[in-house]
Amino acid sequence: MRLLLTPAVLVVAVFAAALGALLRYSVLEFVPGSLQTGGLTLANFTGIMSRQYLGAVWDTVVLSLATTALTLVASYPVAYLLARTRSARARSILLVLTLAPFFTGAIVRTYAWVLVLGNTVVTWPIPMLFTARGVLVGLVHFSMPTMILLLAAAISHIDPVYERAAASLGASPARVFWRVTLPLSMPGVVSGSVIVFAWTLSAFATPELLGGGRVKMIANVVRDLALDSFNWPGGAAFAVFALAVTLLLLAAVGRLTAGPARSA
Amino acid sequence: MLRLAVLLLVAFMTLPTVVVIAVSFNPTAILSFPPSGFSWRWYVNVLTYPQFQRAMWNSLVVTLGAVAVAMPVGTAAALALARGRRGTSLWSTVLLSPLVVPGVAAGLGFLILGAALGLLRSRVVLIAAHVALVLPFVVRSVWVSARNLDPTLERAAASLGATPWRAFRRVTLPLLRPGLVAALLFAVIVSLNEFVVSLFISTRLTEILPVAMFTYVVNYTDPTIAALSTLFIVVTFVVVWLADRFLDLGGVFLHHRG
Amino acid sequence: MARAVVELVGCTRDYAGVRAVADLDLTVHEGELLSLLGPSGCGKTTTLNLIAGFVPPTAGRVRIDGQDVTERPAHQRGLGMVFQSYALFPHLSVFENVAFGLRERRVPRADIERRVRAALALVRLDARAEHRPSQLSGGMQQRVALARALVYEPRVLLLDEPLAALDKKLREEMRSELREIQRSVGITTVFVTHDQAEALGLSDRIAVMRGGRIEQLGTPREIYERPATRFVAEFIGASSVLRGQATAVDRVRLPGGETVRVVGIDGLREGEAVELAIRPERVRVTGEAADNVVDARVVGVVYQGVQTEVTVEIGGGQRLLVFVPEPVPAALAAGQALRLHLPPTAFMRLNPAPGEAGR
Repeated sequence: MRLLLTPAVLVVAVFAAALGALLRYSVLEFVPGSLQTGGLTLANFTGIMSRQYLGAVWDTVVLSLATTALTLVASYPVAYLLARTRSARARSILLVLTLAPFFTGAIVRTYAWVLVLGNTVVTWPIPMLFTARGVLVGLVHFSMPTMILLLAAAISHIDPVYERAAASLGASPARVFWRVTLPLSMPGVVSGSVIVFAWTLSAFATPELLGGGRVKMIANVVRDLALDSFNWPGGAAFAVFALAVTLLLLAAVGRLTAGPARSA
Repeated sequence: MLRLAVLLLVAFMTLPTVVVIAVSFNPTAILSFPPSGFSWRWYVNVLTYPQFQRAMWNSLVVTLGAVAVAMPVGTAAALALARGRRGTSLWSTVLLSPLVVPGVAAGLGFLILGAALGLLRSRVVLIAAHVALVLPFVVRSVWVSARNLDPTLERAAASLGATPWRAFRRVTLPLLRPGLVAALLFAVIVSLNEFVVSLFISTRLTEILPVAMFTYVVNYTDPTIAALSTLFIVVTFVVVWLADRFLDLGGVFLHHRG
Repeated sequence: MARAVVELVGCTRDYAGVRAVADLDLTVHEGELLSLLGPSGCGKTTTLNLIAGFVPPTAGRVRIDGQDVTERPAHQRGLGMVFQSYALFPHLSVFENVAFGLRERRVPRADIERRVRAALALVRLDARAEHRPSQLSGGMQQRVALARALVYEPRVLLLDEPLAALDKKLREEMRSELREIQRSVGITTVFVTHDQAEALGLSDRIAVMRGGRIEQLGTPREIYERPATRFVAEFIGASSVLRGQATAVDRVRLPGGETVRVVGIDGLREGEAVELAIRPERVRVTGEAADNVVDARVVGVVYQGVQTEVTVEIGGGQRLLVFVPEPVPAALAAGQALRLHLPPTAFMRLNPAPGEAGR
């Protein structure tokens, strides 16, 4: 067992070393105009709280909350049909349509929204591209496959006999949904919401392309700091912040629903 | 009602794909939908643009390199997890952990590490990062297959005179095939599409296709990226369709009722 | 005759080309407990689902209290149902499970409290109101399911193999409790089961089903003592089938040459071939000569405690099962010769089953 695990553990060790380097830089002093660093400091973390960056943190949280709520509402019907349809063909088609964007890379997906939001298809009455609205649409679209899969998995574990029982007791289809299906699917709703929220918190490609520099989320600030200003310590502090929040949220959901966070 | 809602939502999910494919055949450089005609010129542009040629080569090298390392490493780990009794959940958490790390954190981490080691000019850091990001998918896919493997089968093979290696080759490996195929598909798709981490650790010379596309999108607005995206979508769609056909993706994700 | 509460008229139901229920007519009367009995796949559960409204009939009508409800969805039919798995809502307490139907009917809060308590008292679970279903034993869950289906006083109670998930001893207890409750409430009940003992012990009438049709409909005694077809005779209780030829209105010659007298079978015509069934407990091993005696040879012996089950072969190679009460008068062994008395009143005439006519 040890022997078989060793190479994989080495790979993870390299990954951990990268995160270690990130962690170390997050507490080193930034020397402007240079990749050299100074002594130990907590200034990078207090910098997150400065006016300039607090806006990005606030936007990130608001966008993530809105994305989670909209994604949940938009995904539930699809997940329900996916889990409950009896036709193998319908399930197959839904699954492929749902999974295909899951497997299409961030750039392809986001670029597609650049076209749609950028008045290529229709002329929008209000500006969409390079606005928070546009970013929100892109984030919801990006999150839906994950949410659909998690919800469908939860719904498919609900024995349909409960829905029949509720109907036999006089509940209309809408009432069956409210009193039986939705409460029984809560594990999926909770884990899906937390995972989508955590992912959206560290979203990068969508706000980068659809926000066009006008909408900044935490990950975009990390990029700006690290790749434009060469302020690696500042970027590292922000990245550590995002990492910590993500891990906390996923630990919470792991506690709520025992099971792997992401189905491979 | 439900069907109508799902139809609209699926339309929302597929709309961008449709638009991209349509725009990729547009004859003019101005993005328009529906396209004003039909032309292959942007596909020609994709294939002749030097930076894309280089990026495709880089993608090929990085993905093949990462998959070549991650497949045997991940398979070995999955077998260990499937057979181990103690500590399985700890080790699986460790091996799957790269999944939950935000891309920018991993990217900047590898950038700092690569710079410290002076390796940023080569593709070594890129490949190392891709191996780590792809590994969880390989481990999970093979693990699912390996877990359902009856350990007495190898003993049966041994009782029939097979050496441990022969037993592995003739019994275990063939039974693991669905898991291995799924692992390979996931690994290739995830690596080919990886963007955020690669953005941090690429140079103009080593950047892979998604990074090159990103740079192009930021600087130009013609439908070249639509053509390239279409190629990506077609490849992915075919792969997912084949996977669903032969691997029962529904069985992987959903609970089936008898 | 009591009035009809549930009526199925010419009901047919197909699943993807397979006919689960075929042109079925069935009437359930006020206050009776009618069992749908048959092996799995006979269409009994589909029949129940047609009444409940979970599946629409491919053809035919469903009426409740004379009203056509064929197009009415399940939640508007006002029926009570107990499911095989009980289907107690895992996220609700026992109290809330029982209150579910009342809340759907917008019953005032105070009434709900009172009626749920009364229903739980009826099934002796008043102390468990705040428990979750998963904290209860199988028997208790079954009783909660019953209380939940009865509390809003539905017109008809539908029971889908409600005892199948219980172990044997509990099942027998619950059987009599179920019967008692059904009697005291006086509710019209349709009961689906594959267990013949359950059906015989519980029902006012039994519909024996096979291949989507009702093979025989009658009281338990009629079904047992006068099975209409070979299928019914063999599915309910044990029986042996003898082929013979009528030689007079009350005589049948068996293939071995013996002629037996039969009593209580009408319409025997001289010369026609007949199939007779006989229950193994009615056959007697006898030493002295009387009429209706046949010679037999023991083929197999199975000791069962209260009795010994002996398979014998009689003339013409026909086999017969005989239950000999313990203690057996003399040791029985294969190859031994016996004389058997077949009482004239023990014979039952079988109609060829519709499914067998063409075979």
